[in-house]
Amino acid sequence: MSNRIDPLGEAGLQFYSKVSASISHEIKNSLAVINESAGYLEDVTLMAKKGMNVDMDRLQSLAETMLKQVQRTNAIIKNMNRLAHSLDDPESQIDLNALLELMINLSERTTVTRGFKVFAALSDTAVTITTHPFFLENLIWLILDFAMNVTGDAKNIELKPAKAEPGATISFTGLEKLTQSEFNIFLTQRVHLMLAALNCTLQADENKGMITLNLPENITQPAS
Amino acid sequence: MRLLLVDDEKEFVATLAERLSLRGIEADWVTSAKDAEKIIKTEHYDLVLLDVKMPQVGGRELKKIIEKKIPGIKTIYLTGHGSEEDYQAGSAEAEYYLMKPININDLIEKINDALGKK
Repeated sequence: MSNRIDPLGEAGLQFYSKVSASISHEIKNSLAVINESAGYLEDVTLMAKKGMNVDMDRLQSLAETMLKQVQRTNAIIKNMNRLAHSLDDPESQIDLNALLELMINLSERTTVTRGFKVFAALSDTAVTITTHPFFLENLIWLILDFAMNVTGDAKNIELKPAKAEPGATISFTGLEKLTQSEFNIFLTQRVHLMLAALNCTLQADENKGMITLNLPENITQPAS
Repeated sequence: MRLLLVDDEKEFVATLAERLSLRGIEADWVTSAKDAEKIIKTEHYDLVLLDVKMPQVGGRELKKIIEKKIPGIKTIYLTGHGSEEDYQAGSAEAEYYLMKPININDLIEKINDALGKK
């Protein structure tokens, strides 16, 4: 069965499915807040019709809550849309700052549920490369999933993009329990195929508790 | 009848508690498993409404902790949208497994039904 399935395609579908499940969960949570707020408004309207006093401040806070949830859902859908469009072109010029921001947003529910905090130390200037955005997002997702097993007690992971000559790097730090042997186990055939497709390399540094992804300036050229 | 609602969505759980209170149902709420563990040390509840997916300690794990303190307590699970596997496991463990958003009248019916099973 597995011989008939393209491993990269399968990995991509699994990634997309997990993100979709997480997004649908988030949207349902937001809808639940709106639903209760609207329900409460209905309750107090009925009470007001019966001549009971209505707390206007509470009504205002309900309106604010609903507006906030609409903004939250809009942001979730925007991120979903950005992920969907990352499959449009096999090669496109991207800013790693924006891509990492997207990945942190997309993975937030998963990482927070597992008790982790993932944040990005974004660069002041654009870190631009030409790559396959979807494969890169998929690879970052896999690295984050692995990283959560090897962090220290603080459970913090920092992602940092940087320019390198001639390409760019993304470092994952806070991995205090990282060992070379565990890293080798992470480097499955699927990960190797993804690295080859992106023409990039991945290194682990036990002493620094860091994984570094070395990306070429252009996917058609090897990473330095 | 006294309920404890546990959900990390503060605005959801607080408003739901208010709406239950308007219907004569006493409901306290907290937003984490940690706070739930704290409150059950001093308060008694007949039923807990637990969000399945919460940071660090989810509803299914919290149910086991609460049951040790309040044996026989009834549970209703709530979730945004779980997997089929979650649904099967959750339905077997709790009185009911409800999907958000919920209809308050349906919820009250389930609460009454769960407590009537006692």
